[in-house]
Amino acid sequence: MRKIIVNNSLSNKKAKQKSASLPVLQIKELNVSFNTSRGQAKILEGVSFDLYPKEILALVGETGSGKSVTAKSILDLIPGHSRETRGQVLFDTKDLLSMSDKELQTVRGYRISMVFQNPQSSINPVFTLGEQIFRLIRLYLSRDIEALKQKTGCGQKQALKTIAKEKLREAGLTDIKRMLKSYAGEISGGMAQRYRIALALLSSPEILIADEATSALDVTVQAHILKLMKNLCENKRTAILFITHDLGIAAQICDRIAVMYAGRIVEIAETKKIFSNPKHPYTKGLLKAVPKLGADEPLSFVPGIIPDLVNPPRGCRFQPRCDHALDICLNQKPESLLIEDRHKVSCFLYRQ
Amino acid sequence: MNKPLIKLEQINTWFPDNKPVFGKPTSWIKAVNDVSLNIIEGECLGLVGESGCGKSTMGRTILRLAPLYSGKIKFMGDDISKSDDKGLKPYRAKMQMVFQDPKASLNPKMTIFKILSEATALNLRVAKENYLEQAVKLLDLVDLRPEHIYRYPHEFSGGQQQRICVARALATDPKFIVFDEATSALDVSVQAQVINLMKDLQNKLDLTYLFISHDLSIMEHVCSRVAVMYAGQIIEVQDSGSLFDTPRHPYTKALKNAVPIADPESGKELGILKGEVPKLSDPPSGCHFHPRCDYKENICVEKSPKVRKTGKNSQVKCHFHEELWKRGVLRYT
Repeated sequence: MRKIIVNNSLSNKKAKQKSASLPVLQIKELNVSFNTSRGQAKILEGVSFDLYPKEILALVGETGSGKSVTAKSILDLIPGHSRETRGQVLFDTKDLLSMSDKELQTVRGYRISMVFQNPQSSINPVFTLGEQIFRLIRLYLSRDIEALKQKTGCGQKQALKTIAKEKLREAGLTDIKRMLKSYAGEISGGMAQRYRIALALLSSPEILIADEATSALDVTVQAHILKLMKNLCENKRTAILFITHDLGIAAQICDRIAVMYAGRIVEIAETKKIFSNPKHPYTKGLLKAVPKLGADEPLSFVPGIIPDLVNPPRGCRFQPRCDHALDICLNQKPESLLIEDRHKVSCFLYRQ
Repeated sequence: MNKPLIKLEQINTWFPDNKPVFGKPTSWIKAVNDVSLNIIEGECLGLVGESGCGKSTMGRTILRLAPLYSGKIKFMGDDISKSDDKGLKPYRAKMQMVFQDPKASLNPKMTIFKILSEATALNLRVAKENYLEQAVKLLDLVDLRPEHIYRYPHEFSGGQQQRICVARALATDPKFIVFDEATSALDVSVQAQVINLMKDLQNKLDLTYLFISHDLSIMEHVCSRVAVMYAGQIIEVQDSGSLFDTPRHPYTKALKNAVPIADPESGKELGILKGEVPKLSDPPSGCHFHPRCDYKENICVEKSPKVRKTGKNSQVKCHFHEELWKRGVLRYT
């Protein structure tokens, strides 16, 4: 078992005491490309953004826009062969991308944890749910176990059970005694996702990455999970990077939204600004395509499809689908422009 | 118009839950439980509900793809509930289906021409030498270009693949198409294209749709009437314009409140529906929704409510719908 905990929890505390205005995670000029049989696919190109403590940042975009690759690159979860990564992911003044695997283990799951789309397949099917959460508690909360043992005089197993029950109850689960004995296949999707969230937040991480965490669930269950994530993260001061293709979710729970298109962040701003005053033509098109309850006009859409990333357009990657394309868009890549306070757009329409 | 194309009379689709070696199964999974419903010619009827409530099974039962346990299905006035495969053949061409995952429902080894002409073969009006012409015509209907005809499915994007599926469904000159979560796997922008196409085709070709989805917000755009399903039963049917503003069943309201709104200024909190979806093999007694309902009373636990008509084409299945309507508690504000 990994013994990483004690020396790290000190720096963990220190990081939490830092002022709230400093970003907890900084991604700088992240480039990721994969080697395919047809050539190099440039999946991410110059992705940069900051994540602040306690904030919920949504990463929205179409399928294939590089949302998940961004998330997985942060923790270096993409298999190494045939992949090239450049750029920096700064967390607690250290670059995660240049860390060794051993160093990275002290961050993965402990200080930055992740929740995936399909809850059932991200739980080990051959161990009971109890065994899995006990293992993490022994790993992350060894101090709590000792404290509990001294306080109540109970044994190791009883202490583990008490802590597990408390943590699972926080995640809104009931009938925990039975749940600890059951396997992943025996619980519903909503319960499985709540269990996963409980595991992810066990160590009170500084960042939670949710990769389409509610996309596989029903709206009623989704509402539960969204509220749960929001409340837990507020209590534990965890920042969330929420990856989704559903703008409704982004509007409902996120503080800021970053819109991705073909491996670039085209616009990033506060949620209200994205909806009330979108700047980038792609953001505008995306917002118009969202079906709204109570509206009856035909849906509009962005014509065309996402470009082939092996041979992306030379200039702006959105230019072939853009109604407002200028000559300059054909040949030059747009820079990210700060047009208002905390509102950045990569589009030539807004250059001075 | 206004004539029912399909009449469902107390249909049940039950699957055996346990299979004893001898004798009949003792418990059943009641995926569709005592459903009576008319689908009117020229309308697009939506069917919403949580996963596992029996939406897809109901769509498949109407096409006689899932085994019918009891009840009557009338298609264009003819009773097809007792017909065998041979007897169903003339009706099969008139009823088509489009599935959720376009990639999985197109044969990867066939060209688009082959896929379309395989279905065209069921359309007796088209002679064999005209298949090519017909395929081009079908592609034109779904806004694809004729040069796509000799390509394979993997060469298309998800939205285009779904349009090929729609073209294949149209190849037999159908009257009725079931869309089973047909746009759920698509991105919003692509989904908008497919939905607009569906609506155009409906007007052009006089089609009747059953649109199955779990996404409430597209219902209002696509459907003229919506049926809400819960634990194998239809609990409410209303025009799509009024259903979500003035629901008559507590579940409909709960469903709408759980949908995230793409408008940060709305200030609405997500509504939480307590409890879990009931198991179809062992649904709660009385009204299936009572364990999760805010307005339940003793009778809800004991007696299953009758389906009551609330208008010409609307119905509700709740003991207290009139009282709740008068109190105005369900109205969406």
